[in-house]
Amino acid sequence: MDFLSTLISGLSVGSIYALIALGYTMVYGIAKMLNFAHGDIIMVGAFTCVVAFSTWGMNVFVTIILSVVVCVLVGVLIEKIAYKPLRKAPPLSVLITAIGVSYFLQSTALLIFGPNQRSFPHIIDIPPIKIGSLTISGEAAATLACSFVLMAALSFFINRTTMGKAMRAVSEDKQAAELMGISVNRTISITFAIGSALASIAGIFFGATYGFIGPYSGSMPGIKAFVAAVFGGIGSIPGAMLGGILLGVIENMSKAYISTELSDAIVFGVLILVLLIKPTGLMGKAINEKV
Amino acid sequence: MLKVNDINVYYGNIHAIKGVSFEVNSGETVSLIGANGAGKSTILQTVSGLLRSKTGFIEFMGEDISHIEPFSLVTKGIAHVPEGRRVFLHMSVKENLEMGAFTRKDKEIEKDLSGVFQRFPRLKERLNQEAGTLSGGEQQMLAMGRALMSRPKLLILDEPSMGLAPILVQQIFDIIRELNKGGTTILLVEQNAEMALRISNRAYVLESGKVVLSGTGKDLAESDTVKKAYLGG
Repeated sequence: MDFLSTLISGLSVGSIYALIALGYTMVYGIAKMLNFAHGDIIMVGAFTCVVAFSTWGMNVFVTIILSVVVCVLVGVLIEKIAYKPLRKAPPLSVLITAIGVSYFLQSTALLIFGPNQRSFPHIIDIPPIKIGSLTISGEAAATLACSFVLMAALSFFINRTTMGKAMRAVSEDKQAAELMGISVNRTISITFAIGSALASIAGIFFGATYGFIGPYSGSMPGIKAFVAAVFGGIGSIPGAMLGGILLGVIENMSKAYISTELSDAIVFGVLILVLLIKPTGLMGKAINEKV
Repeated sequence: MLKVNDINVYYGNIHAIKGVSFEVNSGETVSLIGANGAGKSTILQTVSGLLRSKTGFIEFMGEDISHIEPFSLVTKGIAHVPEGRRVFLHMSVKENLEMGAFTRKDKEIEKDLSGVFQRFPRLKERLNQEAGTLSGGEQQMLAMGRALMSRPKLLILDEPSMGLAPILVQQIFDIIRELNKGGTTILLVEQNAEMALRISNRAYVLESGKVVLSGTGKDLAESDTVKKAYLGG
């Protein structure tokens, strides 16, 4: 494999990680919790896709919309049922609950779809793009283009719209935000909705890239995206994008040039190295605790 | 306008506010004064719904607001400038002011923004700067400007002079007086009793969670108890 095509497939995998990492980082920024069930939303999105497209024979666009809607509903419901009652509980209780929710989602998928992996339909039917000697697969091109558009849209939303600014206000100071007339509960729901929508799209691209999906398929990309979020600086939106993309590129480069077996070890090694040098991650803000 | 009746607030087992009642009439400036830990900020937070009272009720313009969500008080006309200013440090001055107008959808937001700049010219100079880079006095001005952006009927100010240089304290109190003249009712909590009493129509003196004295600002400033305890003889 030549360097350029390795780089492009790395960027494409990395942008999937980035989409997932955004959910982690936004929820962390707003609700100050690690939602370890976030990775499994990818699996929910991908399975919805399999059922809607292969079983019910719906067209691509309806399939994608349905998958986004299902993930948003699942994400918002999880927050309402499992996390909201724990808003004032110690962080450890919330963390354990999140792990519990993750197992709940995996087991539910296991009950419905069984333990075997299903093949993911060819939902993205785009021919490979050839530029000179370089060939980019249709999936990679679509993943890259779509992720770029989604991330640009999210940046615009966060930085330019009133609701986006309100989200930043809540992430800085919940009480002060409430005194501005911003409903913290509603803002948290919106954050979960956006995170889950991004995860559902990531799930579709993940399925399309690897070609199969099973009840546990969400956990590994989920953990890697979490690593990406920490890598970029958890709580930082540009950090999650950068962290995800870098992680994908490093992973693919190590697979191509060093060793496939060692690629995960290298990825996590780089994370440890970065955190040793910069404990808040690449773009993380140092938190000044006010006395 | 605001009627607080027999509120009792607890932090766990600690009985912080013990049967406090007071009133703020439309157009007044009313102060709650008292030492550190007397319960002044706790009362304000209870009025804003950030804390809950176990008994009694709080009425605003004839409506019981004791159980209302804090964020919906803004649309009813209460703005609360919390202790320590609590501006959004990583957001620009302009964005902070926009957050003050979060609940509004009308067309006069721009007009009110220039009104705030007229009152606080420094904020206009620092429009696109992050609030965290402002000095303490500028942050206090931003916190007040932000609260004014919601066009409050009742402005609640918690220790606006805290940590400010004397010249700035004077400036902040002048602004409070101007706001009151402009028709905004003001509920003020201050440790600087002298300054607070000077601009207040009425005041309540708090000690360990109880109202021990109340009266007009002038009477209290002249009373021996207040002089001894809060005005340095």
